[in-house]
Amino acid sequence: MRWVALASLVLALAPDALAVKSQDFKTCSQSGFCRRGRALSTRAAEAKANKTTWVSPYSIDSSSLSISPSDASFTAAVKSSLYPDIKFGLELRVHEDGVVRVRMNEVDGLRKRYDEAASWALIREPEISKDITWKAGKKDVKAKYGENEVVVAFEPLKVTLLRNGKEQIVLNGEGLLHMEHFRAKEEPKKVEEGEEVVTDSEGQQEVMQQEPTVNPRAWFEGETEDDYWDEKFNSWTDTKPKGPESLSLDIDFPNHAHVYGIPQHATRLALPTTSGPEATYTDPFRLHNADVFEYLADSTMSLYGSIPLMHAHSADSTVAVFNAIGSETWIDISHPVKDKSTLSHWISESGILDVFLLPGPTPSDIFAQYARLTGTTALPAHWSLGYHQCRWNYVSSEDVRAVQKRFDEEDIPVDVFWLDIEYAEEHKYFIWDKKTFPDPVEMTEDVAASGRKMVVIIDPHLKRTSSYPVYQEASEKEFLVKNKDGGEYEGWCWSGSSSWVDCFNPAVADWWVEKFKLEKLDGRYSWVESTKDVHIWNDMNEPAIFNGPEISMHKDSIHYGGWEHRDVHNINGMLFHNLTSLAVLRRTSPPQRPFVLTRSFYAGSQRFGAMWTGDNLGTWDHMAVGIKMVLANSIAGMTFAGSDVGGFFGNPEPEMLVRWYQVGIFSPFFRAHAHIDTKRREPYLLDEPYKSIVKDILRLRYKLLPVWYTAFRETSVTGKPVVRPHYVEFPKDVKGFDLDDQFFVGSSGLLVKPVTDKGATEASVYLPAEDQVYYDYFSHVAYPSTSSGKQIAVPAALDQIPFFIRGDSIILTRERPRRSSPLMAKDPFTLTVALGKTGQAKGELYLDDGTSYAHESGDWVWREFVATTEGKKKKAVVKIESKDLGKTRGSEAVDPTKVTSPSKELSTETYDSKNAFAKSIEGVRVEKLVVLGLGSKPSSVKAAVSGEGDKELVWEWKEGVAASDKKMKDGSAASELIIKDPKVTITKDWVISVQL
Amino acid sequence: MLSPWLILSLLPLSTLGALEKTRGVPPDLLQKYAPAKSGSWKCLDGSKEIPWDFVNDDSCDCLDGSDEPGTGACPDTYFYCKNEGHIGSLIPSSRVNDGLCEVQCCDGSDEPEGVCPNLCKEVGEMYRRKMAEELKLRKTGSKIRSSYITYAQKEKKRLEGVIENTATEIALREKEYARLKDIADRTESLSAAALAHKQQSPLYLSLLDHSGALKSLQREHQKLVEREKQLSNILDTLRTGYNPNYQDMAVLEAVRGWEYIAGLPHINDVGKDNANDETVSDEEAGIVEDVQEEELEEGMWTKEELEKELGDLLSTDYVSLLMEHDEHVSSPPEESMIFDIASYLPESFLPQYEDFKDTLVSWLAAFGIIKGEEGASADASRARQALQDAENVLNKAKRDRENAEKDLEKLFDPKMFGAEGEWKKLDGTCLEYPSGDYVYELCFFGESKQKPTKGGQTFTLGRFSSWNSSPDVQVGSPEYYSKQLYNRGTKCWNGPERSVQLVMTCGTENAITSVQELEKCEYQFTATTPALCLPVDSNGNGKAGSREEL
Repeated sequence: MRWVALASLVLALAPDALAVKSQDFKTCSQSGFCRRGRALSTRAAEAKANKTTWVSPYSIDSSSLSISPSDASFTAAVKSSLYPDIKFGLELRVHEDGVVRVRMNEVDGLRKRYDEAASWALIREPEISKDITWKAGKKDVKAKYGENEVVVAFEPLKVTLLRNGKEQIVLNGEGLLHMEHFRAKEEPKKVEEGEEVVTDSEGQQEVMQQEPTVNPRAWFEGETEDDYWDEKFNSWTDTKPKGPESLSLDIDFPNHAHVYGIPQHATRLALPTTSGPEATYTDPFRLHNADVFEYLADSTMSLYGSIPLMHAHSADSTVAVFNAIGSETWIDISHPVKDKSTLSHWISESGILDVFLLPGPTPSDIFAQYARLTGTTALPAHWSLGYHQCRWNYVSSEDVRAVQKRFDEEDIPVDVFWLDIEYAEEHKYFIWDKKTFPDPVEMTEDVAASGRKMVVIIDPHLKRTSSYPVYQEASEKEFLVKNKDGGEYEGWCWSGSSSWVDCFNPAVADWWVEKFKLEKLDGRYSWVESTKDVHIWNDMNEPAIFNGPEISMHKDSIHYGGWEHRDVHNINGMLFHNLTSLAVLRRTSPPQRPFVLTRSFYAGSQRFGAMWTGDNLGTWDHMAVGIKMVLANSIAGMTFAGSDVGGFFGNPEPEMLVRWYQVGIFSPFFRAHAHIDTKRREPYLLDEPYKSIVKDILRLRYKLLPVWYTAFRETSVTGKPVVRPHYVEFPKDVKGFDLDDQFFVGSSGLLVKPVTDKGATEASVYLPAEDQVYYDYFSHVAYPSTSSGKQIAVPAALDQIPFFIRGDSIILTRERPRRSSPLMAKDPFTLTVALGKTGQAKGELYLDDGTSYAHESGDWVWREFVATTEGKKKKAVVKIESKDLGKTRGSEAVDPTKVTSPSKELSTETYDSKNAFAKSIEGVRVEKLVVLGLGSKPSSVKAAVSGEGDKELVWEWKEGVAASDKKMKDGSAASELIIKDPKVTITKDWVISVQL
Repeated sequence: MLSPWLILSLLPLSTLGALEKTRGVPPDLLQKYAPAKSGSWKCLDGSKEIPWDFVNDDSCDCLDGSDEPGTGACPDTYFYCKNEGHIGSLIPSSRVNDGLCEVQCCDGSDEPEGVCPNLCKEVGEMYRRKMAEELKLRKTGSKIRSSYITYAQKEKKRLEGVIENTATEIALREKEYARLKDIADRTESLSAAALAHKQQSPLYLSLLDHSGALKSLQREHQKLVEREKQLSNILDTLRTGYNPNYQDMAVLEAVRGWEYIAGLPHINDVGKDNANDETVSDEEAGIVEDVQEEELEEGMWTKEELEKELGDLLSTDYVSLLMEHDEHVSSPPEESMIFDIASYLPESFLPQYEDFKDTLVSWLAAFGIIKGEEGASADASRARQALQDAENVLNKAKRDRENAEKDLEKLFDPKMFGAEGEWKKLDGTCLEYPSGDYVYELCFFGESKQKPTKGGQTFTLGRFSSWNSSPDVQVGSPEYYSKQLYNRGTKCWNGPERSVQLVMTCGTENAITSVQELEKCEYQFTATTPALCLPVDSNGNGKAGSREEL
């Protein structure tokens, strides 16, 4: 018997096909509050189907309405007809920029609902408008401003945002608002004989009662108290001492057929439906940060991070909702009117109602509005936009040196080498395993000698052992999360028996900052065996706990302030990322820009660094969905994003790896990573022709770094993402609303559609609905688009990437291959002037030292390049000008929320074009210009630099089609003017005139 | 090394202005860098004609990049550093004007003037010193190597001696075998018929059946024990190292199941690192205890007895047993025939017979087969045994000769001990290298092992399979001997069979210098050995001193 049992155990261990362990994670039906929330919407739908009325039990007591005399806010009492004795309070504010904040909480309740989620997400308390006023009527209270109007109906409670009288966002329009109030637990009735406890197929226990009592609230709440006081899942019991406290809210977009956002899910960018007759998925989208082992490439399951932000879009309007909630949340999506409206139903486990309505009306406005709330992506260190080479694990300092040597031998660029958990002795982070890494500082210096950096992992689980000073200190200071009984929370992770740093404790920040100090501290641990070139990777911060419920923390464990983990679960990962970022920033004086990668994130995480999409699989569908996930994260603020190139699990064949590098170089964050069980796959290990193809791909990323960095400057100020889906750039182009496999890089005019199909030789690309020409980036052949958009077929052999320059763009590149990006700092630029249909083009370049905060006090170069055509046909003159944007838009150059406190405020007037950084690159030239789409061969090409005379330039001409050619055929070679070394520098104003 | 930023900030930009046209041109191409009479210049690939002014103007004009030997403006070209006072060197164009002073360009010519100091005097000296040291090392090494060759020569002689000697011994042994065969045949003829009859006894036949069955059982038992051991190892490894799959409930169940069966405490309850030397408490060891407490029936063997004594039982000489049995069941024993036979012989034969008997008895006694008077059948079987032994000795001698012949063949086989036999000396030499919680062992031409220092299982990392098997490496070349492959080691759970790649360089000692597991279960050892130190020629060159070695 024993042997039989063991044999079957061994069989169970046989590695089966890669697949998610879905039994480890709850479906909605296995989660008490989600079940209750969905049952509520089912009852409402049934009532409507039966033509019975369904009226929300919540209403405003109009007598309690109190409108602020000084700003655009009011408060009012809300009552529920179900529980007349329970009090709720409602508050509405209209911010200066027109964003509406709706807050509702239980008043004088038995306990306090968690109300701090927004305080972690927001960069500051938003300014409430002083100009807008609320006007109370008999049935409602209204505020009108510009095209917008907010109407709050009293009975039933309903909040509507309108633009030009058209409903944009409606809260509780479907009557699904329900805030479960705190209550005392009734003594459980003894299970009488005759009653039986049954277990249904999903392991849920219900008490079958013989005689159900009549429940007057059953029409709304259901007959039974479903999992009010404790809840079982697999072998875990969540004790739920506070009882039911969930929050249900319907958010309706009556005139928007597309919704995007609420990352992170492995799904399409335009969110598919989860309810209604033709729902794509059966389960709602879930936001519950989780370490999902071998996750599915197409699912509503929750993943590592959660941003409760949803865009709703139509050809004439974009609006958004930010639901500042930190607890587990499920979101159902349906289209009540197909291709016209979208209804979302948000079901959260705990917390107050705190919803921000972003009025738009364009995607750009939404990004600005959201950025004013949660901040923008911090301008990253320039080197962090280079190529990151990671693996679990480079096993020793000799290994790291050998890998670097191989890159250099092959002349393949790379900026960062990463170390996963095996560098740490017994997975005690910070503590080097001296058997394999005997000389960590020397190793880092060897890497730094060619301008490179190292990124080393630091996870939030601390090994519970007296030999680990970091744990010892945290334990002594009581900086660790507590279990429900008040002791240190203990769980199992890489380091074995571990405890977790509680970043909600405000005292933890200084302590954590101290751990990263490079100098020795008296009596406390600090990481002296590190250098300023070591940056950090935060993994497992969901938190991932191998033996915890759903591979995470028990929800009844306790954080600082007595809050339960359930209240803050989705915020938890962001705080660890925040503190680590702060620690790296404060490590040196003056501060250096930190690079900290996180796996878990929340609204606002963009301020602290990059994220990646976690442990993906080396499959074609994971490669494809990675692009969609990066786009979804990008529009939700988390734009410094990427997926592991090659896939974390598995051994991708060379073709797949090549294609994955093509995807990777177009991700804001570009890292190759691999699981410990996989074969090594560094690019230099590939056979030809794959090795040369990947080398060229990597070099293309480096050539385009000026474009990426310029795009990052823009996002750091405006919130507009670095990679942009079609609807963001062309919000009126209906055919592009579902597109999520091609996208634009910043405002550069670069459009890419990475190939993610095995064996592909051709790709189909959608050109936007506009009268414009698109040039193939590599071959310079032209494709005209039309005002109704156009699908084109382009060649896409393994060494080809469908990559286009939109006419009307000037692209700045640095074409010289180097070992790492810091070594390109003095390299000359090449300008590709892609003339548009009307003979115009423009582009931007932003540069600074890339590592310090000197840019915050004006040390930068921000320039605009403009091409214009004057005159007609044969007499036309094309002028290409270099202009200083500092002089015209200097105050917009950098994010006004500064890390440092520079002595001077930046403005256009105070901007000094001869700042220290500009001086340091004053000799950097433009080495070449390529003008695409000129009408005819020029007669002369001259450069004029201010203060110097005109100079005749050397140039070559290649016949081809003109941008303005109305009969242009797809794939016809564009004319090319190649200007050799115009002897102009990048920081100076100049004009190059091309006389046709 | 200076940080790149430091150097960048010093970079004087004007120096990029007018460059020497031959900057960065290697000596063998110098004559090609001169303008034509027309003042133009042809790209080296002939593809384009450009003004001479365009050469080294920091702007790439030629498709092959040949117009910019000195600026790095053309990708994937090379820049030549003269390194006067040292050795000239070619570096990739990606290193030119990148703000870093290349080690390969000690003259600093890879960066604009004034950026990098000229260190060629010092570097050159250091290099020459280093080369001298290396030469010394190589000389010492090659002396040791020649002693290896001498050893191989001696070994050759020894083996030839062995072959010669074994030939003599084989002749002797063959004679002795013939003599014993004669004795055995004669002894056997005395009782062959009787023995054949006795062997028809159902008891004897049944005994053979039992023996056969027992042997089969023993074999099956051993297989199962081996299998259990392997499974236990797999499960122990899983239990102590399951982190990556702990998220998988099936793995957790397996670990718990194993802990229950093996009577181990749950891994969460013990320090993981102590999992190997944990002590099992009585309570936890429930199942194991149960088994041990089980009472044995009368006459049943314990586990230890089964392991240690079953083999002895199975090697019982059943024929002897049959004879003894015979004596037990028949009435009072008669005198042993061999001693009694005299009574039947005529007087005149007696002296010869006594001689023969003495010889036989003393011989048998010498082999410890008989102790004085015993039955004739026993004599027969013992004589046969003696014959068998003699045959064994003969065969061993034959094998010795064959082995010696084979060894002699391998001695100068380039695929084994090298054309000069220089590797023979290392045959069976074992090197050890402690790393982490293991000691790595490698016995040349034998086996490589990973031995844990804190208890646990020793794994075979592989056995010698070949020298560098890369197709572009010639058998017998120095590169061929710089690498050995050891493969077909213990299979990794969820991975390949373990293997070792031994990468060797010339050194005065045989020693492993590093051990790395570059891929899962694929190890790379580096080692030094004098066997790779080729003789140094009169110019002081061992191998051609290449520029890449700088």
